Amino acid sequence: MNELTFIQQDVLPALMKGLKVSMLLILPSGLCGLVLGVLVGALRVYGSRWVIFLTNGYVAIFRGFPLVVQLFIWYFGLPHIGIYLTPFLASVLGFTLCSAAYHSEYVRGAFLSIKKGQRLAAQALGFTKLEMICTIILPQAFRRALPGCGNEVIYLIKYSSLAYMITCIELTGEGKVIASETFKYTEVFFIVGLIYLILTSVAAFLLRRLENGLRLPGFDHYNL
Amino acid sequence: MKVMTEVKPVLRVENLTKRYGSKEVVKQASLTVNQGEIKVLIGPSGGGKSTLLQCINFLVIPDEGRIWLEDKEILHSQKKELYRYRQKVGMIFQDFNLFDHLTALRNVEIALLKVRKMSRNDARERAFAELERVGLKEHIQKYPAQLSGGQKQRVSIARALAMDPKVMLLDEPTSALDPELITEVLAVIRALGADGMTMVMATHQIGFASDLADEILFIEDGAIVEAGPPARILSQAECARTREFCSKLTGLYGEAR
Repeated sequence: MNELTFIQQDVLPALMKGLKVSMLLILPSGLCGLVLGVLVGALRVYGSRWVIFLTNGYVAIFRGFPLVVQLFIWYFGLPHIGIYLTPFLASVLGFTLCSAAYHSEYVRGAFLSIKKGQRLAAQALGFTKLEMICTIILPQAFRRALPGCGNEVIYLIKYSSLAYMITCIELTGEGKVIASETFKYTEVFFIVGLIYLILTSVAAFLLRRLENGLRLPGFDHYNL
Repeated sequence: MKVMTEVKPVLRVENLTKRYGSKEVVKQASLTVNQGEIKVLIGPSGGGKSTLLQCINFLVIPDEGRIWLEDKEILHSQKKELYRYRQKVGMIFQDFNLFDHLTALRNVEIALLKVRKMSRNDARERAFAELERVGLKEHIQKYPAQLSGGQKQRVSIARALAMDPKVMLLDEPTSALDPELITEVLAVIRALGADGMTMVMATHQIGFASDLADEILFIEDGAIVEAGPPARILSQAECARTREFCSKLTGLYGEAR
């Protein structure tokens, strides 16, 4: 019973506070990351030679640097050039840029999977390149990219736990504080893990709902 | 059958050349299409018919050559001009190329909204009318995956017609269809011809071509080898290769009218 009251009175309130911070990190990072990822993915396929070169470079760097290192650079590095970010902002920035780099790869693959005929038909009707991408290619590509992008969103939920490394105390951070105060590492982190599991399960459920909602005849082959 | 009006060139192509590496896939092709005229391109697959048609509306950028639409030379480097030109040149593809994520109605409507900037109501009305014209009134809410090949091709014809094209380019419109579906698409194209639509069509349907065409052009290895009225090309072509090809086609497709 002692354990239970400890969990109810000390652990859960702290973790709930942390969960709120985690959600505040995940939601904007997830959304901005997806939007930026779609943009970068489109540029990597349809951009001019220089744009492709630059965006490929961006993806190489942000997929190549460990995320913790990126966060350290945003939080501890930027002040050297006079830019001071709060731990929270540095985290959101780091997550967004990293997430977008991964999203862009899923989106790029989806763009490449759209048959050439779709492009030809749009061009033959007099669509400009931008109109063609936005109204013909993207709606199809997004449906194909969604399973991959969903994967990245799930992953983001878990790597948001790195924010505590730059003193943005979110779910994992709160857990760590309590655990080191009480030495009940197993219990605390088991609960922390469970909360992440719940978050990712809810996200997976919502993503599947979205996929189903966007399903059209001819786009349902991945769900045989 | 056609009412003769004054001869007015709609589309003029001069010395069009396209190379892939050192291979010339279109060689110095020239043709003039007058108002209401139907030109049919025949020739072996891989001979350059598709590339020529795609060069005409710059889906493939030719290396050399000039193109005029009604006395106005088209410079493909001027994007705005190019987009305007393509609106006036309808294109029908062998494999339909309907927009897979849109219903038949939306397929026809989308360019009216996005390219011609028509109002929502006008676009819908026009799209509906064009689909009715090709006999697809009952299928307007279906997605491409739910339509037969013949229906898909008719939607794509409706989509092109909605743009009020001055000339239509048809790239083997029936080659991906089974024999039963060919008839319904040919009927639509025949009706277009009767309405006076100017067309350039690549096809292997030689019977249909001889009925409809004002001129048949035989294309091989990227060059227009011979051109003339159907009666002459099909039965007494000057070039031996043309004769050989035509007799084979007649044997295969001659009966499909």
